[in-house]
Amino acid sequence: MVVMNRREFLAAGVGLVGATATAGTLAGAVWPLLTREDLLPGKAPDVQLIPRAWQTANDRLSFVALGDNGSGGRQALAVAERMAITYQTAPYGLVALLGDICYYGDFRRRFDTVFRRPLGPLIDAGVGFELAIGNHDNALHFSNQGLSAIEAELELLGTPGRYYTTSHGPVDFFFLDSSIPSLYGPRAPDQLDWLDDALTSSANQWKVVALHHPPYSSGQHGSTPGAQERLAPVLSRHHVDLVLSGHDHNYERIEPQHGVTYVVSGGGCKTTRVGRSAFTAVAERTLQFLHVEVVDDRMTATCVRTDGSVADRFTLRAREGT
Amino acid sequence: MSGRTADVAVAAGFALAGFVVVLVPAVAVRSEVLNAGVGSMDDDILAASAAMGAVHMVLAWRRLRDEERMAARRLHLWIASLNALVVLALSASVLLLLVLYWFPDEHASLANRGFPVFLLWAGVQGVAVLLAEATARFFFWWLEPRGPPRSSRGGAVLTRRRRLRS
Repeated sequence: MVVMNRREFLAAGVGLVGATATAGTLAGAVWPLLTREDLLPGKAPDVQLIPRAWQTANDRLSFVALGDNGSGGRQALAVAERMAITYQTAPYGLVALLGDICYYGDFRRRFDTVFRRPLGPLIDAGVGFELAIGNHDNALHFSNQGLSAIEAELELLGTPGRYYTTSHGPVDFFFLDSSIPSLYGPRAPDQLDWLDDALTSSANQWKVVALHHPPYSSGQHGSTPGAQERLAPVLSRHHVDLVLSGHDHNYERIEPQHGVTYVVSGGGCKTTRVGRSAFTAVAERTLQFLHVEVVDDRMTATCVRTDGSVADRFTLRAREGT
Repeated sequence: MSGRTADVAVAAGFALAGFVVVLVPAVAVRSEVLNAGVGSMDDDILAASAAMGAVHMVLAWRRLRDEERMAARRLHLWIASLNALVVLALSASVLLLLVLYWFPDEHASLANRGFPVFLLWAGVQGVAVLLAEATARFFFWWLEPRGPPRSSRGGAVLTRRRRLRS
């Protein structure tokens, strides 16, 4: 038996307690955070693009949907570089940002790191960016700080409001504010009424809705409570073709729900696990963006990984008489 | 197992354990990035961790071999090494997390100007190695009896201690 004096006992106790606490801290908090977040710095994409190389016409449009890309880290840069490379072969004039475009700090301070630097080649090529605002804090409720960040994003990206509609070629886009107070809480009727009116007056061939929180998802956060009851009926009633969302850091395509195709495209800079639900068509944990091409009566969407490989491709046909 | 063999085994074990805990964050990050569908990834952080892990192995091995000859009780260097390993494991990961999380824009700016991530990662883990070494030396010093040197560990100790005190 080892006999210890007071100092030896104390030092050994500190070591043993420290080892236990350290193991718990590392395994439970530090390593998951270090691996989940996109904290490693990287090099900005060095890709030369021909400005305004895309073609938009009454029957033709190309755009990209990118969600949850706001780290400015190595993985965000890899996604952005692949977007620029994709532009070289399949140019597009619009990026629909699906929220959470700035993590780890204030957007005004981080604007260059999370937006200008990764997406520089596309910005210089004249590509437009339209934003569906995100939450930044993994909750549906916006804090005051969150609201301040959103105001900064709207201002710096020149976004007309927290929810708005735009038209590009044959597609009408509807960008929503999917927070609790705005879409599922006390103020929901305002936005839902606006959406109902906007969809009613939409005359274009295609209707695409973009919002941060997914109505259907098998990812870490899952389907947004209230969305299937309050929002989905409006979307199906107006024959929306495609609903794009982020929030969960993965790719998932949902089997058409009452004629509406839902996609989660939240792999813009980090990834989390995704399962499969009864409504899942394709699900993959991957860094990605969605490249969409509309030609005549077909909309073809391709989920592109950072190495250029294709995770999913699907085609929608325009609905007649809608 | 003879006492000398046991000393060598323990010293090697602590040195190797240190190497592993320094390497773990880089392996975990790399594995996660590759799992995320990135086809390839620079090996800079793995190389940085391997380099710092190797530095720690050398430092720990030399310190332990020295302390084995000086220690009043072997228990002292084991306890000191355990505490050092705890500090190394914690700081090799936590310091990285803090530095990367709190200064992302500064690192992005540095990376933009060509500053290699290897140096950033190795520098932070180098601080962790130094902290661990300081911890080991502090605990060993604190546990060792202070006063007139004793001759129970043999003449070599006395010679070394007299040289250090002179």
